[in-house]
Amino acid sequence: MTELTLESVDRDEALLDAVSELYGSTRAGFLRGAAMGGAAMLSTLAAPPTAAAGVSDVAILNFGLRFERLQATFYTQAEELGTIASMTRAKQTWAETLGAHERAHVRIIKQVLGPKAGPAPAFDFGEANSTDAAFTRTAVAMEDLTVALLTGIVPQVHDRALTAALMGLLTVEARHAAWARHIVGTVPAPAAFDTPKSLHQVRGVLARTRFIAEQPKMTAKRRPKYTG
Amino acid sequence: MPRRPQTRRWQAVTLALLGAVAAVGVAAAAVRSPEKPAAAAGAGALPLPVAPAFVPGRPRPLGSTRHLSHWAIVKRPAIARVAPAAGAAVVAAVPTLAPEGTPSAVAVIAQRQDDGGRVWVHVRLPVLPNGTTGWVRRRALGGYEAVDTRLDVDLARLRATLYRDGRPVLRAPVGVGGPGWPTPRGEFYVRNKLTRYRSPAYGPVAFGTSARSPAATGWPAGGFVGIHGTDRPDLVPGRVSHGCIRMRNADIRALARRMPVGTPLTIH
Repeated sequence: MTELTLESVDRDEALLDAVSELYGSTRAGFLRGAAMGGAAMLSTLAAPPTAAAGVSDVAILNFGLRFERLQATFYTQAEELGTIASMTRAKQTWAETLGAHERAHVRIIKQVLGPKAGPAPAFDFGEANSTDAAFTRTAVAMEDLTVALLTGIVPQVHDRALTAALMGLLTVEARHAAWARHIVGTVPAPAAFDTPKSLHQVRGVLARTRFIAEQPKMTAKRRPKYTG
Repeated sequence: MPRRPQTRRWQAVTLALLGAVAAVGVAAAAVRSPEKPAAAAGAGALPLPVAPAFVPGRPRPLGSTRHLSHWAIVKRPAIARVAPAAGAAVVAAVPTLAPEGTPSAVAVIAQRQDDGGRVWVHVRLPVLPNGTTGWVRRRALGGYEAVDTRLDVDLARLRATLYRDGRPVLRAPVGVGGPGWPTPRGEFYVRNKLTRYRSPAYGPVAFGTSARSPAATGWPAGGFVGIHGTDRPDLVPGRVSHGCIRMRNADIRALARRMPVGTPLTIH
């Protein structure tokens, strides 16, 4: 099996740039100093600060919803646009299964949050889900990041029943990450320990990918000049 | 199927054995950990798992995408070409802003990767001649948006029908182009929506479409065909416009509640 690095999965290098910035290094310096697998590289970020300490369960769940929506849209669009149909049967099963799981996660978290659920953001994945290779690389990085995120936020949750539910999501996301790594022929479990990430750190990584986009304003208050 | 008595006996024996093994284990643990008598004493009643606050429902496959269409804004000025190749002939320049000031939008037909690994998107363009399509680089476009609606305008019956997921959800009479000002036929899409303007002739809401009047090329802003309300409901249905699709104000309001930007439009 070949070792997977963030550089190899992150074609646009948006994730890599963000991670190296968090690590307090230049991208090149970070790569030189990090001869390890993708998940392990993500794990080398500083321990989560106490920034999440005053965050409510609703805020944590809303961030989880945002992240699940990101993943669900990523997989769903790839299926709708035919990217997944162009893959091998084994990869189709993998991608369609993960898409169905992420949509189920979105549905339940929205239901739990009810009126407190945040609005659905717009997403711009660029070429990341337009081709088999780009889709696969991004999916691996995204699943690793999800595991890191959930590992970081689950202990911050105040409600035990909610913690139990999020643990159920975390273990499934870890299976997704391992399956994704198996699909690309790399080590499914590259490290003996997954170091948690904070909301702040994951939010920073997401911001650098620019996957979450501004909702286009397609309505204007302007007098029409149509043919009438 | 009812269980056989012999099976039940074996189950009872197995349970008794398991109980004995557990008892021995607890006793051994108590011997090994004399410093934690409280924990050992409570080991007979191991805690149950914490009931999760929620359990996701059954994962569902995506389902049919037959009635789904995609569109995207143009986020970088682009050149549309006749084929997905940098050297292919130019069809049109595609700006980032529509004449109405909203982002320019294109309808997505397909996407393809060229030999160099670049992704190209086949799009429907809001240019003359009507029906023009071209290939633009994926990176020139914003995120894909999906709609499950479709608007059908029947010029012969003077009627518009909005479909959602293949089912009709709104029917309304329309006014269309009169003699000398035909409403163009073909496949188009809804580009944007205008509201809160002061122009009774256009009613309370107007949609910009990608259709353009071949007879009104000198019209301000390029002669785009709109779908809008009216201050002359008595003329609807009828062949009364300069190419636009007019609806009674109650109907255009109902349409505005149901039809998102990006909706494909068929005029026939």
